[in-house]
Amino acid sequence: MASMGRFLLKRALQGLVVIWGVVTVVFLLRYVTPGSPVDFIAPLDASQATRQRIANNLGLNRPLYLQYVEYVVDLFSGDMGYSYRSRTPVRPRVFAKLPATLELALSATVVAVMLSIPLGVVSATRRHSPADYGATLFSLLGISTPNFWLGVMLVIVFAVQFDVFPTSTRPVGLVQTIGNLVVIAGPEQGYALPLNVSGFLSDLRTWLLYITLPAITLGTYFTALITRLTRSGMLDQLGQGYVRAARAKGIPETLVRYRHALRNTLIPVITVVGLQLGTLIGGAVITEAVFDWPGLGSLVIDAIGNRDWPLIQGCLVVIGAGFVLVNIVVDALYATLNPQVMD
Amino acid sequence: MPFDPLELLSNFIAALRSSVSPRTVRNLRREFDRSVLAKLGLVLVAFVVVLAVFAPLIAPWNPMGQDLDSKQQPPLGFSRAETQTGQEMVNDSLVITNETVFVNATTAHPLGTDGLGRDMLSRVIYGARTSLLVGLLGTLLAMALGVPTGLVSGYYSGRVDDVLMRIADVSLAFPSLVLAIALVGLWGEAGVTVPDPFVVTGLAPAIRSALSLPGGLSYPTGMPEQFTLPGTVIVVVGLVNWVWFARVARGEALSVREEEYVTAAESIGAPDRFIIRKHVLPNSVTPILVLATIQVAAIILLESALSFLGFSGTTLSWGFDIAQGRQYQTTSWWIAAMPGIAIVVTVIGINLIGDWLRDALDPDIEGEGGGV
Repeated sequence: MASMGRFLLKRALQGLVVIWGVVTVVFLLRYVTPGSPVDFIAPLDASQATRQRIANNLGLNRPLYLQYVEYVVDLFSGDMGYSYRSRTPVRPRVFAKLPATLELALSATVVAVMLSIPLGVVSATRRHSPADYGATLFSLLGISTPNFWLGVMLVIVFAVQFDVFPTSTRPVGLVQTIGNLVVIAGPEQGYALPLNVSGFLSDLRTWLLYITLPAITLGTYFTALITRLTRSGMLDQLGQGYVRAARAKGIPETLVRYRHALRNTLIPVITVVGLQLGTLIGGAVITEAVFDWPGLGSLVIDAIGNRDWPLIQGCLVVIGAGFVLVNIVVDALYATLNPQVMD
Repeated sequence: MPFDPLELLSNFIAALRSSVSPRTVRNLRREFDRSVLAKLGLVLVAFVVVLAVFAPLIAPWNPMGQDLDSKQQPPLGFSRAETQTGQEMVNDSLVITNETVFVNATTAHPLGTDGLGRDMLSRVIYGARTSLLVGLLGTLLAMALGVPTGLVSGYYSGRVDDVLMRIADVSLAFPSLVLAIALVGLWGEAGVTVPDPFVVTGLAPAIRSALSLPGGLSYPTGMPEQFTLPGTVIVVVGLVNWVWFARVARGEALSVREEEYVTAAESIGAPDRFIIRKHVLPNSVTPILVLATIQVAAIILLESALSFLGFSGTTLSWGFDIAQGRQYQTTSWWIAAMPGIAIVVTVIGINLIGDWLRDALDPDIEGEGGGV
């Protein structure tokens, strides 16, 4: 797999260029925004001298290129600066919120992939059956429904009317849940195993209760989109010559469908899913707003409201870099399914 | 100056006219006759367009008119239980009584009223204006930015293409909703006020009484004289979505430039701008048109998400009403439900038309543009 290594290296280098571009755009965003950050920091009755001092302290009076170089150097050494509002370092705040967003996005993706691919295959292999019409109707509704509205409706039905799921801010995250099982044995604990299985199970239950509605909210659009793509891709592939050849050779139909046709169907599906990952991240932001989810989305919306520039920039850089990273993973997956792209 | 976006836009319209060959029309018609869904899509979109254009004639009430006496009225077929707290003197002592009363639906407000007693039906009808206008203008802007960039990038390939495509990559690395929130939030929510032609000219009451349309009690105060367009939102959704058009236009330009007629035109010394305009553009029209249809739907979803989060320039928008409805979600579900249904109906209609165009014209587009 030497070619795979080279392919990934090339992708990673391209990714770095894109991340550099993201950082530059994020840096410049402040300078194409009307109003000085000082207006949001200084008290309303601050004198001109105080304002000057604040601007000096923030380094806003220095030449733009110097600020830019310093910003990039700081960023690559892991320093995202200090929040204007809370005056605490930005990096720990951003990374503290990252797990919640990742958990949400991953749960939605897992649910979407597990539901949509079988649904698309069934829909394509049993054309004009009730299952096919059902799947088609679902995918049309799914790609046309704004996810935040779906979230609000789910809350009204399942939390307000039937009180099945909670809607308050979640008390426990996945890291903490799994933490119950992680043993940090040392001499002080006498090497005893504080393996807290009952705590893990009750936390897991809570975690699942809290993530169900948000994951459905975020995952529906993707489920619908992938169902649609899988269906049309499968229909395309099942009409191809190699499928007929495989059937003529006596290969079992299940094998023909899943081993041959589905594999080739997934290639374009993965391309589109890769392109749509931005939608997933954007969708996570708005889903977080609906469910009071303690993730990056809520953080960035607050930061924008407060014009807290270091925090805005930190969030946007992490979101952009995350998108680039996920895309590299998608490309690797794509290359595994379709080795031609590595040449 | 070969890359003037405005000129290319007018060229695009000309190319659109010339590219509608008899064969294209035949394909469109055949697919339309065959597909029930295509007909449904056209009906839905036509319905929403009529509502949006003739809102002052159709809406039963002023969508901004508050009436606190009839707030939170349920839609037809439903009722709402409300606990009324009163005081009563029993045996010389003050007793607080709780009494459950039912608020019933009235035909005056078929879809109910919101928390300030504004008519939901009228708000839904007026909301169609915001959605459709932002969808159309945003798509036009994205097209004006993306198509020239993509065509030039694909036609020249090489260094120009590399640079432009890296810019496109950076632009794609920001999820459009996140970037849109940041831009609208930071640039401010400027609204552009447009006078409503039906109301300003005095036509609205005249036509309504001539057609004896139900006026509604608030009608004497009239419909809003002006209409607020969320200006920043339109600019931002265009800026955020240009890259999809650039990608498709580039792909088309890349393949068209290999054609023999382009080589022939080059060999007789035709200038690049002539070749782009006469050969590359007309051959890219079909996929761009299909993408534009899908983009209108995507931008309507994006606008509703922005106004839901409070990043808008208008208070007359479906997304804004859904956000309002959240405050009443425990008692009055319809405030959030009705505008959402309107969004779904509109977007389904546009997506069905997109499917129809795609099936009939069969362009090869990989990115769909994305929903929210």
